[in-house]
Amino acid sequence: MTWIVWRQQRPVFITLAGGLVVAAAAILLLRAGMLADLKAGNLVDCVEQKLAVCRGKEAREFQKSWYDLIHIAQIAVVVVPALVGVFIGAPLFAREFEQGTHVLAFTQSVSRTRWMATKFVVAGLPALLFVAALQLLVRSWVNAAGKLGPLVGGPFYFTTFDAQGVSPVVYTLFAYTLGVFVGALSRRTLVAITLTLGVFVASRIAVAVRRDEFGEPVRELSPDLTDPYAGVGDGQVMDTGFLDAKGAVVADPGSAQAPCVPSTRVEVSVEDRTACWQQHGLAQRYRDVLQVDQATTIHLLEAAIFAGLAAVFVLGLVWAVRRQS
Amino acid sequence: MNASPVHASSVAKHFGRVRALDDCSFALPEGSVTALVGPNGAGKSTLLSLIAGLARPTSGSVSVRGTPVRGRMHPDVALLTQKRPLYEQFTVREVMRAGAALNDRWSAARASEVLDLLAGVDRDAKVRTLSAGARTQVAIALALGRLPKLLLLDEPLSDLDPLARDETLRIVMTDVAERGTTVLLSSHLLTDLGDVCDHLLLLDEGRVQVVGDIDGILVDHRVVVGPAEVELETDGVVVDSSHTPRQTTALVRGGSAPSGWDSTHPDLETLVMAYLRASRTRKLARQ
Repeated sequence: MTWIVWRQQRPVFITLAGGLVVAAAAILLLRAGMLADLKAGNLVDCVEQKLAVCRGKEAREFQKSWYDLIHIAQIAVVVVPALVGVFIGAPLFAREFEQGTHVLAFTQSVSRTRWMATKFVVAGLPALLFVAALQLLVRSWVNAAGKLGPLVGGPFYFTTFDAQGVSPVVYTLFAYTLGVFVGALSRRTLVAITLTLGVFVASRIAVAVRRDEFGEPVRELSPDLTDPYAGVGDGQVMDTGFLDAKGAVVADPGSAQAPCVPSTRVEVSVEDRTACWQQHGLAQRYRDVLQVDQATTIHLLEAAIFAGLAAVFVLGLVWAVRRQS
Repeated sequence: MNASPVHASSVAKHFGRVRALDDCSFALPEGSVTALVGPNGAGKSTLLSLIAGLARPTSGSVSVRGTPVRGRMHPDVALLTQKRPLYEQFTVREVMRAGAALNDRWSAARASEVLDLLAGVDRDAKVRTLSAGARTQVAIALALGRLPKLLLLDEPLSDLDPLARDETLRIVMTDVAERGTTVLLSSHLLTDLGDVCDHLLLLDEGRVQVVGDIDGILVDHRVVVGPAEVELETDGVVVDSSHTPRQTTALVRGGSAPSGWDSTHPDLETLVMAYLRASRTRKLARQ
């Protein structure tokens, strides 16, 4: 039975293997080229931390040539799970039902359950391994660029977060199970592909916008009234605002700031503006920041949601295949 | 418990409001070759898929060799479906390997024997490149490789040329002769069936119209011909009658030969045609 699924999925496996070889070669070559550039520009230290020298001409040149490429690699890791769901998951059962070949299997000795389980595992595992390998390759490149690459945005930067930790593999599992379930239910490849893509994108967005609810933002206070991001770390700023002298949140900072806007077009110094705002009751800046060390927790919570949904889809798949007209 | 190869008791299958099968009861004797006939949409394929366990009856039950069919195929059954589903990308050799992998009991020798019959099928040809006849042969090889005791064939002869039809029937009949396989085959090709079938199961609108041994059925029916102006009086059941300006021809079931009418026993084709015509007449009358 394993052999049959392997044989049926052979073009898919060849595509995955070929894709991985090409991706690995490209990433390793680009990474080597990038490391050479780092050395040539004396930027090796800038990978670890943001130094003053890292804002120089060499750093800008370096980012100009590499940042977008690394970013694209991260986006690939974010997109591939959807492709797995659409092109491997959705047609897996839909095509059998569409072409009537499920009858071929059902009129032999194997049970429907075994047929389904074998197809599910044999077709799914290589896809998961592919995503995991791609993630590791891209990760090694992203890490090599360090603070000169997308990591400068911290762990919550959208492509960094989605291409990191357990997320890519769990997204793949979610997309794949969604695809096979919808395919077995609709028995139409095109319907399954469309629904899989739609539901996958919608659920990813729905969960991503609630990311701040999974962690507990910490309130950081800053005396710098004018710049909300002064001295901000790698955490994700969820909200900013002002506190009054008693430490209470100012509900309407706009009305406090309004008198400080000059009537004519003149340059107001930061000090003057700060002083004016202080007179009108704005004592401190605050910002609610999702801390860097919460990234792992949020990854796991999000993974739990998608893994739970994947489990539901697997149960749905069992039902959809075993049900008889 | 009835241990006959197929035993159906009051089987019904409804698809929503459509009654594909209704109250079908019959049993097939061991080693019989039964022709399953009926007009399009009579429920032939539905009946075969119920026996194979591909679908579940709405009510009633089907049992194969004494075991009720529940959601999966009995190990002694093989089914050739109308569409001959095969993995298009596989070579014939790979299809046979799949057959071996999918079955607990599998005879590669038997399957190979079937493939070698007639002109022989190229083992390295991809399934999608095969002609309709070769494709059917591969599907039959896959079915017979299971060494079935009950072989269900849904339109095994459709889209085959006359020569391939004849040869395909010969493959099946060889299996019957050698292994005593019970066969239930649906077909529209009555002339081909006459030579090989010994039993008849005639379905119309989901109901069993006639079932039994063909010789007995033919003896039980009469084709009577008489002048057009005389009313036919018979103690049997008039299945179908047709009129020309000069004479009336009717198929009568049971009873004795009406006096004054020319009476003969029909052949299989005449009998089935009369039932099919009667079915169409009923349908038209309802519209």
